[in-house]
Amino acid sequence: MNDDILAGIRNGSRDAFKQFFDTYENYAIRTAKAITRNDEDAKDAVQEAFIRVYRNISTYNSALSFDAWFYRILVNECYRIITKEKKNTPVDTSTIENNAQLTEHSKENLSDLYSMIQNMADLYRIPILLKYIKGFSEKEIATILELNQNTVKSRLFNGRNLLKTQLELLEMEGSQ
Amino acid sequence: MNHLDDRVRKEILDSTEDTPSTLKDDIWNHIDQELFQTKGRRKKRVKKKSKVIPIVIAAAAGLMILFSSQTETGSAFIKQIKDLFVPEKEIIQSIEGNEEETNVNLQEGKDSEYIIYIDEERYKLVNGKDSDIITTKEPLEERYPKVSMEIKQFKDITPEEMVSTLETELAAEYTKITTETVTEPVNGYKLHGISGSEWDSPVTNVYVVDNLNGGSFVITEKYFLEAAEGHGARFYAMLQEFEIIE
Repeated sequence: MNDDILAGIRNGSRDAFKQFFDTYENYAIRTAKAITRNDEDAKDAVQEAFIRVYRNISTYNSALSFDAWFYRILVNECYRIITKEKKNTPVDTSTIENNAQLTEHSKENLSDLYSMIQNMADLYRIPILLKYIKGFSEKEIATILELNQNTVKSRLFNGRNLLKTQLELLEMEGSQ
Repeated sequence: MNHLDDRVRKEILDSTEDTPSTLKDDIWNHIDQELFQTKGRRKKRVKKKSKVIPIVIAAAAGLMILFSSQTETGSAFIKQIKDLFVPEKEIIQSIEGNEEETNVNLQEGKDSEYIIYIDEERYKLVNGKDSDIITTKEPLEERYPKVSMEIKQFKDITPEEMVSTLETELAAEYTKITTETVTEPVNGYKLHGISGSEWDSPVTNVYVVDNLNGGSFVITEKYFLEAAEGHGARFYAMLQEFEIIE
């Protein structure tokens, strides 16, 4: 984040905030769409995240990564919306670490890689989305998700292995 | 694994790129409306109250003294001043991007020269000889650096003199120092000192507030980098409730 833009936002400048929005909206929308799996929910999450940034900019510590701070707010908004939506849907029981049932692939048509990712438990899905959409490092993902860095490392490793196995199975089925 | 990484990245980016151009505009219009088009009205609504007890309240306190019993003492006067503030209230603070409702309790500072509301679920106020210290209710593990907020009054040092002295002191302790004037969480100066960018790098924020009597209140927050959005944000919220009693 450019220091001038940050200073402008701190001073309440609409122009500075618009510059910030133009710079961050694309990947913010992509991330929110991927996490919420719903365009309308993504729109709500992105709007609210930007508004929260403006209202809470005084609490941002410039010694920390701005991107990690912003994405923590965005991911929290996505979680809030997902949680609200889940009140009307069955509880996801696959979010327990080391659960053998890591995906719900038997219920879904996993014809492509994106569907496979989107059917993984949030435990693995969210770190993977953050890593591949915005290119966040393990340390940054740990900051965003408020997890230990080793936990993130392990979840990314297991998530990628899971994808790899599923892809191999899919390709074997395709070749038969 | 690199091939898989490239494939995953491409799949995710391809699957999330078909954002209608109107979506971006819709989002910006909503944000613009919420933050900037209604700003005047909003600002008025959240206008910050005076940081000093209004004269009318002080006068009310005086009247209370006048009409109360003849055996009133100084401490009773203080009690009545204190009674003008609700003993407990709920504040909404922003912790790591989430709004959190927190109950805070009224506490008097040293010699009853200020009041502050404390999140007593997590912190305690310790009245010391020269200053008051707000610190965690439960002691932190040894691996964590100190977390505290000290409030001290310097009756004969103006805020400007105080800032100059503090800048020198902080420069001896930290590699990066910044000074700015602020209106939140208090009206005054903010000095920020930090060294390093590790999770446990110590951080100091010092707020210097005019005591309106030729001196200064110096509020020193100490925590560590990873706690900036936890303890740091909670200190910030408590400090918004800081009021000087003239």
